[in-house]
Amino acid sequence: MKKTIQIPLGSQHISLLEPIRFKFECENEKIIGVDADVGFVHRGVELACTRSFEFKQVGYVVARVCGLCAITHSLSYTLAAEKLLGYEANDRIKYLRMLMVELDRIHSHMLCLAHTAENAGFEALFMQIMADRELVMDLQEAISGNRVQFDFIAIGGVNRDLTPELTALIHKNLTLLSEKIDALIGLFNNNWSLSLKYKGVGVLRLEDAYTYNALGPLARAAGLATDVRVETSDFPYEDIGYTMILESTGDIHARNFVRLREIVNSIAMCRNIADNLPAGEILEKTKGKPKGEAVVRVEAPRGELFYLVRGNGGNMLERVRIKTPTFSGIPAMMEVFKSSEYADAPAILASFDPCMSCTAK
Amino acid sequence: MFKSMFTALINLFKPVHTVNYPAEDIVLPKGYRGLIEYDKESCIFCDKCEKVCPPGAILFYQPLEGEKEYRYNPWLCIYCGECVRACPKPEEALWQSETKQHSAVKEDGANEGWFVYEEACKQSREDFKAAKQASKTQNKSEE
Repeated sequence: MKKTIQIPLGSQHISLLEPIRFKFECENEKIIGVDADVGFVHRGVELACTRSFEFKQVGYVVARVCGLCAITHSLSYTLAAEKLLGYEANDRIKYLRMLMVELDRIHSHMLCLAHTAENAGFEALFMQIMADRELVMDLQEAISGNRVQFDFIAIGGVNRDLTPELTALIHKNLTLLSEKIDALIGLFNNNWSLSLKYKGVGVLRLEDAYTYNALGPLARAAGLATDVRVETSDFPYEDIGYTMILESTGDIHARNFVRLREIVNSIAMCRNIADNLPAGEILEKTKGKPKGEAVVRVEAPRGELFYLVRGNGGNMLERVRIKTPTFSGIPAMMEVFKSSEYADAPAILASFDPCMSCTAK
Repeated sequence: MFKSMFTALINLFKPVHTVNYPAEDIVLPKGYRGLIEYDKESCIFCDKCEKVCPPGAILFYQPLEGEKEYRYNPWLCIYCGECVRACPKPEEALWQSETKQHSAVKEDGANEGWFVYEEACKQSREDFKAAKQASKTQNKSEE
């Protein structure tokens, strides 16, 4: 007689926001085998970038890959295209881009914390965090002029400048936000019922993180020191006070804490940028057509985002390859599910912060 | 437990946290990216905005005689402002306002009407080209 039962999670499930399917092989309540299937939302973005749009327009197309890390996607593409054109951005452009990416990271991490809370059964905490997140969304809206589709980064610079009123707004909102984040850190640290759902659940060990190539907050929660912001030299992150956040336990609690502490770090970095913005042009003219091949890595909120762009000297690109953090992290995610309880699966899944629209694109 | 009950009691008398949206208008931030607006008098018909637009929301219809006609689909537009940056006479011929477009209803023909117009524009270009070619050959034969 068969000892195990198969329970699917997805592709449509109450705890999922986007379609992904996990097939769990369960022994009583314990998960012993996992099979994952992504790719329910394929939209053909990569092909559209090479067939329907010219290289100057592609930055606006790839921003539509993901609603949460729109800035990171357009930034990665723009960096790759600028490498092909042989253009180096000035310091003001770099700082403005960094500001938007860090704001992106703050609101994406807050969304993940909210969903982890919701999937663990804390609906009120979800609403509270989502309400606080509006502070950052308002900030991004004021800076870029639109709410989710920012269209802030263009080839050769950024589309809008920071005015003194905006700098004041950044300081005001970030001060409000950092108070809320401090309260959240206290809550996540001390609340007994949150610790029941988070502490010691969904553990990823350091060896496994290394073997299965975990990345982003998932790896840093296990103690694996990997961050593209340090590994590449596209942006001067050391100058604005970046610190690597590491935890050691590797459970959901550690992942939440990596995110919370990264938010604190990002808030400090955004303040630094707003105060010490160098002078310079914000949009410079670029010449020529992309020719050759460029590879760019940027730290998205979920981990390393990889772009390959190949051009043949024409207006149309030859190839655009997007490798998203969720896709690279799936082997590590599957490892975490093994030997945990089925009832914890939604909370564990939410703590990975999976982004299916990115992955399947 | 008493603490949580006390908090719940206080929350009963707190103001509502949500936005009273349909009854009150949402205040848009200053510098909101809104509709693209156009002035026919200043336009020099260079077609740069049409070429640069990522979704193709700006089209020019080419009649056989006279000036080109500008047509803009506000529901296709992504409000990125590339056209304004490409325009040789920004703020005069083409500029970005702060007004928000209302949601499309069936009568607006945001999709079907636009597809028809796209085809018509394409056809008008070809017709214009053919007519020009024909007049050229006619002129030559007259000489």
